[in-house]
Amino acid sequence: MEEDAFEAIVTGHHAEIHRYLARVTARASEADDLSQETFLRAYRAYRSLPPQANVRAWLFAIASNLCKNHFRAEGRRRRAHAAVQLAGPRVDHGWPEGEAVFTEASARIDGIIADLPLKQRLAFTMRKIHDLDYETIGESLGCSLESARAHVFQALRKIRRGLDALAIPHMEPQR
Amino acid sequence: MSRTHPACREIETDLVAVAAGEAAAKTASRVHAHVALCAPCRGELARYRAVETMLAELRQAPAPATDVTLARAELESRLADLRRRLIVFGVFSSPLGPILLARSELGVSMVKYLGRASAASRFAALSGVEAVEDERETEPLHRDLMDYLEGRRTRLDWPLDLRLARSEFQRRVLQVTAGLPYGAVASYGGIARQIGAPTATRAVAQALRWNPVPIAIPCHRVIGSTGDLTGYAGNKVALKEWLLTLEGVHLRVARGAHRVDRRAMYVRLWDDTEYCLPTCGSLSRRSLAEIELFASRERAQSVGLAPCTSCRPDLHPLLA
Repeated sequence: MEEDAFEAIVTGHHAEIHRYLARVTARASEADDLSQETFLRAYRAYRSLPPQANVRAWLFAIASNLCKNHFRAEGRRRRAHAAVQLAGPRVDHGWPEGEAVFTEASARIDGIIADLPLKQRLAFTMRKIHDLDYETIGESLGCSLESARAHVFQALRKIRRGLDALAIPHMEPQR
Repeated sequence: MSRTHPACREIETDLVAVAAGEAAAKTASRVHAHVALCAPCRGELARYRAVETMLAELRQAPAPATDVTLARAELESRLADLRRRLIVFGVFSSPLGPILLARSELGVSMVKYLGRASAASRFAALSGVEAVEDERETEPLHRDLMDYLEGRRTRLDWPLDLRLARSEFQRRVLQVTAGLPYGAVASYGGIARQIGAPTATRAVAQALRWNPVPIAIPCHRVIGSTGDLTGYAGNKVALKEWLLTLEGVHLRVARGAHRVDRRAMYVRLWDDTEYCLPTCGSLSRRSLAEIELFASRERAQSVGLAPCTSCRPDLHPLLA
């Protein structure tokens, strides 16, 4: 068996896939499990992968599918969890100034990402954190390039709206 | 941006694309023309750009607190375990019908006659094992097998993986059977004696019935005490006949069934270093469990046996 070829795949992509899963699941233990499962599945399947295939895109597709299955199973528990969080007291940092605005905003973005519907969260993370193109994202999620773009757009819009409460520093549009 | 103005609503997608640096030149100039005249959309573009700036920071930020090194180590250990269990297989055509060949990292672990209902029998053969299809990787096994079945080689020198064997007893039976040379036959009782369980003839037959690697471990060279071929891989006795004929073993038809013709075969007492004519001394009265039969002098000599000095099979060979 071509062990070395697969070893190279693990070395080249494990950290990134793990990071992707950590971000979309927002839980380290889930990222550990799901990234392991991603590579175990990949190992079983990579012999039938065409030689010219985009391995990175393929791994993202496996990881995204696992995520969808995972959250389908976890959906009920997660909804309950989210409901509790919403009901609980939110930490309010008031109106931070200057650089603190960005820190606060980053934390807020993380929160908004975590609350996005799964497909938007996956599409958004693949596009904005891992810089995958829309075609690849579409393939990973089993949807069209246009739908992938729409998911990212919706996510951005929610983030943008979610930041309304903060004083975002304005920049004049460049011409 | 006015939420109600159709022009502003319409341009929002493009505005987001411009902020992300993804817009085509034409789209970008349309957006810029719009925001030049529309103060709310200008502000909106600025906010989307601010979001992009923060996302760029997020991209640089370390992943949420996790130990990726530990996760990698766990993955390596699970991969190693999977590699040990995983077998790759291919399904090929052969003179014996469709056949499934599988190997693990240790060696060949499965040779399976699929018969006509090959999809179902393939599923049955692989149930309970972790298997992936890879014809490219198993094709060399198929080449070897074809060389064997077409008479270009007399041995399949494959490393074997007998972890699919059902018991330690079966493993011992398989190991002894693996030692039967090309063109030779022995009986189930003979194998039972060889593993030190002379009364376990039926158990030996069962063990061979479930041989995970037929041909590679030549269970077709093991026959009943009367010389009957009895069974092979369930109900495939015709394949046994085919394989024995390929090796030059002499068969005759008795009461509608094929039987090894003892009188046409050279004989060796187990553990003896010489081979004899079937008529030598009391050999013709010996039970099949005590002897091994050889199709030809060449076959006997190829495993290092010398011609018997009393019956001299070298001087008085059997008629072919």
